[in-house]
Amino acid sequence: MLTIALSTASVHAAEVNVFTARHYSSDVELYAKFTKQTGIKVNVISGDAKALEKRIVTEGTRSQADVFIDVDAGNLGAAQRKGIFQKVSSPLLIEKIPAYLRTDYWYGISKRARIIFYNPEKISETIAKQLNYEDLASANYKGKIVIRSSSSTYNKSWVASLIENNGIEQTSKWAKALVENMARAPEGNDRDQILAVAAGKADIAIANSYYLSLMLSGQKGPEQQAAAKKVKLVFPNQNNRGTHMNISGAGVTAYAPNKEHAIRFIEFLLSTEAQQHIVNTSFEYPIIDQVMPNTIMAAFGTSFKQDTTSVATYYNNQAQALAIMKKAGWR
Amino acid sequence: MHTFKINYWFLSSLLISCFVCIPLIVIGASLFHDVSGYYQLLRETYVYTYIANTLLVLTGVLILTFVFGVGAAYLTSFYQFPGSTFFTWALILSFAVPSYIYAYSLTAFFGYFGNLYSFLTYLFGPSDYHTLIPKVDGLLGSILSMSFSLFIYVYLITRASFIYQSQNLVDAGKIMGFSNYQTFKKIIFPSARPGIVVGLSLVAMESISDFGTVSFFNIQTLTTAIYDSWIIFDDIATAYQLSFFLIVIVLIFFWLERMSRSRSKFYMPTRGYEAINKIQLQGASAAYASAFCLLLFTCSFLFPISQILLWIIQFPDNINLAQLIELSVNTVSIVILTTLCLIALAFFTNYGMRISKSKFLNAVTNFSVSGYVIPGVILAVTLLSFLSFVSEYTNSNWISFLFSGSIIGLVIAYCVRFYSLAINGIKSGYEKLNTNLDDASYLLGYTKFGTFIKIHLPFLQPNLLLIAMLVAIDILKELPITLILRPFNFETFATQAYTFASQDMLEHAAGPSLFLIIFSAIFILLSKKYILKGF
Repeated sequence: MLTIALSTASVHAAEVNVFTARHYSSDVELYAKFTKQTGIKVNVISGDAKALEKRIVTEGTRSQADVFIDVDAGNLGAAQRKGIFQKVSSPLLIEKIPAYLRTDYWYGISKRARIIFYNPEKISETIAKQLNYEDLASANYKGKIVIRSSSSTYNKSWVASLIENNGIEQTSKWAKALVENMARAPEGNDRDQILAVAAGKADIAIANSYYLSLMLSGQKGPEQQAAAKKVKLVFPNQNNRGTHMNISGAGVTAYAPNKEHAIRFIEFLLSTEAQQHIVNTSFEYPIIDQVMPNTIMAAFGTSFKQDTTSVATYYNNQAQALAIMKKAGWR
Repeated sequence: MHTFKINYWFLSSLLISCFVCIPLIVIGASLFHDVSGYYQLLRETYVYTYIANTLLVLTGVLILTFVFGVGAAYLTSFYQFPGSTFFTWALILSFAVPSYIYAYSLTAFFGYFGNLYSFLTYLFGPSDYHTLIPKVDGLLGSILSMSFSLFIYVYLITRASFIYQSQNLVDAGKIMGFSNYQTFKKIIFPSARPGIVVGLSLVAMESISDFGTVSFFNIQTLTTAIYDSWIIFDDIATAYQLSFFLIVIVLIFFWLERMSRSRSKFYMPTRGYEAINKIQLQGASAAYASAFCLLLFTCSFLFPISQILLWIIQFPDNINLAQLIELSVNTVSIVILTTLCLIALAFFTNYGMRISKSKFLNAVTNFSVSGYVIPGVILAVTLLSFLSFVSEYTNSNWISFLFSGSIIGLVIAYCVRFYSLAINGIKSGYEKLNTNLDDASYLLGYTKFGTFIKIHLPFLQPNLLLIAMLVAIDILKELPITLILRPFNFETFATQAYTFASQDMLEHAAGPSLFLIIFSAIFILLSKKYILKGF
C-alpha cells in the first residue's frame, strides 16, 4: 500500500497528471491514444470541478497536477484568478483555436451551445426560428418554460453573457420575467428539462445542445429516443449576435511538474483525431474546422450563427449573474 | 517504571484523540474569521431556507424511520407469522444500499419516460402516463431515500431492547387483562423508548450530514449550503460557520442519546432475562404483519436492486468488467486497510482510557467523537488545510508528499471520520468487562499488553467483529472524502457511481452501484449473527 502511495506521488519522466471535470468512460481510449503516440502516461483524477480546483489551490507549489480540465468558461476564468494556471506559449494552440475561445492561460477543447428546445405541437416552427433569449421574458410564455437551477454553472455563464450584451438592469428585469414564466420551480439536470417538454409538462426548455443528440442516439434507451423525437431545437438570436456558446477547456497548472508534457497533451486534444473522438462521444461541437460535428448533431445544421462574445468575459459577470438570478427568485 | 508505562498509554491515546479533534478545532477557530460581504447577502436571503429544508428532511426521515423501524422490530420480536424468521435478518440488507443510490433508483423508476412509464406502456400500450405517474423527487425523494436506507438503525436497536425486556413485563400486562395493543402502548413501548431514541439520534446524525442525496435532488440544506459556500463562493469561513450550526444541532442529539443511554441502564436487566414467547399470529393479522414486512423489504432492498438490474439488462454495453474488477480491488483493499487501522486505534484508545482512568482523556475522546457529524466535504478540507499549514510551517515537502492525495492520507481521513463509530462500539464492549478482571490478570503476572491480548481480546471478539463490519460498510459507502482526497487513477464503487450520476450518465452508474451493494450485502450476511445480537 505504501508503494502505491509513493508511486502515485512521485514525479516520473514520462507522465502527465490530469485533473479533469470531464469524465466520459470513452476518455480512457482517448488518453490511450495519446500515450501510444508519445509514450507519455496519463494519470487521471476526475471529479467535481470545484473540488479538484480546491485541491490544486490548497496543495499549492506541491501540487502534482499538470493539466486542469473544466467544462465551463466561467469556471475556467475563476480558476485562472486563483492562480491555478500558468501562461504557456504554444503557436499551435493559437493557430488552431479562435481568439474568442481561449485566453493566455486556458484553451477551449470543445464547444457547446445553450439553446431552446420546444414542443412543435405548441409552438410553430416559424415563430421558434425567430426566438431570441430575450423573448423568453415575454408574457406569451407564462407558465411554459422549464430550466434547471441558478446554481448550474451553465446558467451562470449564460446569464453572464446576457449581462455582457444587455447590461445589468435589463438582465435583472429579464430574469424576473423569466422566473414568472417558469412552468415549475427549477429541478433536475438539462436532460430532465427536455424530457419535461417531451412529456407535455412545458412548451420550452433551455439546455445544452448535446443532450438531445444523446437521447436520439439511443444511448439513453428506446423510450427516451422516442421522447426526443417529439422535441425540436432552435438556435436563438440568429438575426442578431448569434447563439450563446460555452466551452470545455484545458490549461497548464501553475506548478506543473511536467509542463512540457502538459502542453503536448493539450495540443493533442486539438488534433483532428482527438477532436473527432470528442465530437463523436460527447456530441459537442469541434473547435477546429477540419472536423465535422457528429452526424446526429450536424442534422440540426452546422452553419448557424454563433455568438463570438469572448468566453473569457463569462467569469467577470458570473457573480453578478448569480446574484441577479437569486434575487429574481430563481431557485 | 510502572507510572511511565501508564503515561505511555495515556499519552498515545491522548495524541490519537487530539488528532481526531483537528477538524473540530479548525471549525471552532473559524467563528472569529470574517466572511465575504457577497455571501453575507445570500446568507441573509437563503439561510432560513437552508435551515427549514434541513429540519423538514430531518422530521420526515425521523417519522418514517420510527414507523418502519419500530413497526418491524415489534412484529419480528413478539410475533410469529409467515416469513417472520426470514424478515428478521433480510430487513438488515437495506443497510447495503446508500441513500444516494436509492435516490438514483427512485429517479429511474418515477422519472419522465422512466421504468414505470415503460412498464405501463408495455402493459396497456402507449398513452400519456405522465399525468398518472407521481413525481418522486425533491424533498419527498430525499426523505424516502434516506428513510429506507436508515430505518435499519432504529430497527436493530429497538429490536435489541425488545429482546432484553423481561417476559415477566409482558406477562404482567396479560394478567392485568391488557390487549396486545394495550400491552404495547402501556408496557413494551415505554420500556423500549431509550433504545428507540438512540436509534433515532443515529438516524438524525446521518440524515443531517447527508450530501449525496440532497445534492442529487437539488434540495438546499445546510450541507449543500456548506458545500456551495466553500465551493462556489470560495468562502471557507462561512462554510465552517455553517458546519458549526450543524455540529450544534447534532450535539443536541448526542446529548439526548446520552440521556437515554443512562436511563436505559435502568430498564435493562443485566442478567437473567427470559426469552420472549412469540405469539403465533393467525388469519388477517398474520397477513397484515407479513404484508408490512414484505412491503418494507421490497421498498428498501428489492426496489433499488431491481432498478439497477434493469439498467444492466437495458444497457449491457455499459458494463465494463475490467473496470469493475479494478474498482473491486481498490475498494476492498482500502476498506480492509482502514478497518484494521481504525479497530487498532479504537482498541488502543479504549485500553488507554481504561488503564489510565483519566477524566481528561475521557473528555477529549468524547469531544473528538462529535467529529462524526462534520460533513465529509468539510472534514476533507480541514485536513488538507492542516497538512498544508504543517508543510509550510516546517518547510518540508515530505509531509504533503506522504499524505496529500495518497492512500495514507485517505486512510487517515476515513479514520477521523469513523473514529467515533469504532471507539464507541469497542467502548460498549469494554463497559461490560469488569475491571476486577484486569487486576486478577496482573496478579497472575500478566503484563498490560498480555492482559490485553489474552483477556480482553477474546472477550471482545464478537463486539470487534460487529464494529469491524459496520465500519467496513460505512467506508464502502463513503463518498465526499474519497472524492476529494483519493490519489491518481483511483476510483472506488462510490466515486465511480457518483461521477457517472453527476454527469447525467445514471445508466453507467449501474455497474459500480450493484457491486457496492453486493459487497456490502456480503459484509452484512457475514456478520448478521452479531448484528442481530449486538447494539
